Amino acid sequence: MKNFFTFFIILLLFSSLTYSQNKLDVKASLNNLFRYGNGSENNTSTEYAKEYFENITDARLKVNDFVLGLRYEISDPIEYGLDFKGIKKRYAEYNNVKEGISVRAGDFYDIVGRGLSLNVFEDRGLFYDTGIDGVKVAYTKSFGEKNPVKLKAQIFGGDINYNDFITPARSETYKVRDGNLELTPIKYLTIGANYIYAKGNVMASNLLTSTDLTAILPEGYLSFNYKNLQLFSSYTHKHISTVPNPISQSADGDGFYSSLSFSKSSLGVTFEYKNYRFDVVGPDQSNNSARPTKMLPFQNPPTVVKEHSSTLISRNPHVVDFNDEVGAQLDIIYAPNDKLNINLNSSVASKHYEYQNVGTYPQVVYARIDRSTSYLPSLKDAFNPFWEVYFETEYYATKKFYTKIAFSRQNAITYNQEIPLASEKVLTTTIPTEFKYSLSPEYTLKLIVEQQWEHNSTFALKQDIMNQFISLTLSKSPELSATINTEFTNGSDDPTGKKTWLGGEVAYKLTPSNTVTASYGAERGGFRCTSGICRYVYPFNGFRIMINSKF
Amino acid sequence: MKKTLFAALMLLLLTTFTKAQTYSDFTLPDVDGNDVTLSQVMDKGPALISFWATWCSPCKEEMKKINDIYNKYKDKGFQYIAINQDNQKSVSKVKAFITAQNYNFIVLLDTDKKIFEAYNGKDEIPYTLLINKNKEVVASHTGFKTGDEVTLEQEVLNMLK
Repeated sequence: MKNFFTFFIILLLFSSLTYSQNKLDVKASLNNLFRYGNGSENNTSTEYAKEYFENITDARLKVNDFVLGLRYEISDPIEYGLDFKGIKKRYAEYNNVKEGISVRAGDFYDIVGRGLSLNVFEDRGLFYDTGIDGVKVAYTKSFGEKNPVKLKAQIFGGDINYNDFITPARSETYKVRDGNLELTPIKYLTIGANYIYAKGNVMASNLLTSTDLTAILPEGYLSFNYKNLQLFSSYTHKHISTVPNPISQSADGDGFYSSLSFSKSSLGVTFEYKNYRFDVVGPDQSNNSARPTKMLPFQNPPTVVKEHSSTLISRNPHVVDFNDEVGAQLDIIYAPNDKLNINLNSSVASKHYEYQNVGTYPQVVYARIDRSTSYLPSLKDAFNPFWEVYFETEYYATKKFYTKIAFSRQNAITYNQEIPLASEKVLTTTIPTEFKYSLSPEYTLKLIVEQQWEHNSTFALKQDIMNQFISLTLSKSPELSATINTEFTNGSDDPTGKKTWLGGEVAYKLTPSNTVTASYGAERGGFRCTSGICRYVYPFNGFRIMINSKF
Repeated sequence: MKKTLFAALMLLLLTTFTKAQTYSDFTLPDVDGNDVTLSQVMDKGPALISFWATWCSPCKEEMKKINDIYNKYKDKGFQYIAINQDNQKSVSKVKAFITAQNYNFIVLLDTDKKIFEAYNGKDEIPYTLLINKNKEVVASHTGFKTGDEVTLEQEVLNMLK
């Protein structure tokens, strides 16, 4: 705690420099997140006490073109992952905007194109962090004045120490080298190429053995943006050689992503297509998330499914299999006037192939059944199909009254190769609604009512159930909001045995950028996803407080 | 529990030192692929910068309200710059969303969140900053509630004085 305190004092001194220096342009900023929770969690079989205490301070000091950054973290105990106390991230950066040069040493995140070969990011809520510790040099230059040709070049080298966000004791380490070149020869067209060379070590699921690997990922992409039309396409190939080289595992894979958008006044249409074949393996290996030939943690392409804000729809998200998935999404936005917004979204996805057991009993040997249309998703059960149709209307009836009504129908199948009748089939129909009424310029009342009908073939007692979510918020602009959430199910398969959940939350803004949020009550478990990275969050019952501050 | 109380107390004390975020010039591409530099936009007048994403409902509500303010005061030099934070999974929908809504203010793409970081942004959006003619950040807001547009409009008026 002494170090923590000293760190704060130093930062405050830095802040005071902002006002005292005349020649140097010195600026300091600080961002702090404090989280504390105390209650009980249920991991599907037992209920146990759960407490976490986390404080994350991000400080940034800018002196002319130089920036120094630091993250000091105390997570003891952490909510998810491994406890930590000390300096978690640090970096030094030099930016010369005039010359187009940028150099950064230390911790950084990055994305190339749409993330097929490289997309490293952090999501603390999931304990997911693929950040790089190394050196990055970037150069941007425009040639010519009337129709400039733009060039962007970047190289970096660094280390990734990735802890499996589900099993933190399992680690993967990589030494990554990257070269990226982007050329814009005419205003509407950008062509890019990226090359990654990485050496890694992947720990097995048993936490006892590990495999060394070398990975090479070349990527090419292009972006075309002309008037009403936008096109982006990207292709990457992945080659992995492992030591020792395991038999029957594919060492080559690839991924393709493309999006096409058309927009004009009142209408926007976006079509996306994905074909990810980074590691197409049989049903006996696909559940092993620690296999060294899988998509690497520094890759993260688009999910091509809708991300929902509805509580009930987002509780059963489609978990994208980046190693073996083909699919598409269509999104249409129509705003005929400034009062009405309509959104139609539909997506479909599946594995590329089905498999059959060609082994002689009791031996199990899966053989792939090839098909010529593997570039299209299939709705056959053996392909783990997923589809969704979503429709939403938002209506600003008056300046005081706003309403949103939506409809979602989702179908997801997780095929059981050995016992097809035991496959998990989940079909949901959800109607989320939201109503907002301004009682006065300061006070607003918001009501959210969501109704869901769910069929789940793996539920033991009752396969057709109903879920309800109701939330009522009273807010006083700009400083206060108080919410009561309640959820109800008539199903009998919740691990806690509960059928009703009740909780409340109060958020108070001390200043426009400093907020205290406290909540108490029961929270239902379920999946939480970011960019296709999903964690099952256990049910929690207790108290949470969060203080978010910017200085 | 002691350290909880201590840390909470420290944070509450620190809020008394709260000051504005700092101005930092940048160049980002807009949805049509044109490079836009903040300092050049600000030659026309004070600006409101808001970090937003297509999946963020409060951001979209805030955008609608700020658009009304923008249409009211743009002739007096007021600039509204919406900096998009969509990542690789939804950035393709940004232009379609903006065009469908008939918005005419500046929308920039910050896919790697570098400018968000430079302005001390952290996780929560919308994150809104008001920058006066002297290039000083005079106010910043995290989150948006119905009714907050009254405060924002007053702050815009103060900048235009």
